[in-house]
Amino acid sequence: MKISTFQFGELEFSEDKIITFENGLFGFEQLKKFLLLKKSDEIFYWLNSVDRPEICFPVVGVRVIDDSYPTVIEHEAFGIVTMNKNPLDITVNLKAPVYINQERKTGFQKILDSEKFQINYNLFLE
Amino acid sequence: MLILSRKINEEIKINNDVTIKIISISENQVKIGIDAPKEMQIYRGEIYDKVRESAQIAAQKIKEIPADISKLKIKKLK
Repeated sequence: MKISTFQFGELEFSEDKIITFENGLFGFEQLKKFLLLKKSDEIFYWLNSVDRPEICFPVVGVRVIDDSYPTVIEHEAFGIVTMNKNPLDITVNLKAPVYINQERKTGFQKILDSEKFQINYNLFLE
Repeated sequence: MLILSRKINEEIKINNDVTIKIISISENQVKIGIDAPKEMQIYRGEIYDKVRESAQIAAQKIKEIPADISKLKIKKLK
């Protein structure tokens, strides 16, 4: 399959790379198929929609922020990043993590009940 | 919208597997207990809305990538 992406240009990939989100993502419930992409030297991954390739989300592995972040067995937790030209205004959504099982190529998103986790958590220190 | 009046400890049943119970009532707050299957997702409405809105913003701001973030330190959650 071939899609045209914002971050990675024309991208050719096999179908077994597609991660299926049965319930989509909050705000984008209709999008079920994504690719998880990364440039080797960057902290951010990109969750890129297959159905609407112009839609993508930068995400970051939450373990770099919190060692004791809620885990789900066999899944890795990612937070959706809201970019900003000023790096100190870049935020991560720790309230609604995206859990991905890279083996099974499935994922889901949920909202954590704890008030400890903010929707707009500043990623970088001043 | 279906509107039902309930007293403390009274319940509402939805299908066979969801029970909503009024736990307590104070002047401006109601405590509600919900029994539902584990796979059913239950959220506070205003947080659900904020999360959805946040995703819309994140999808729009992807072009705002700052020049150099490699030297910045990540803020650890305490």
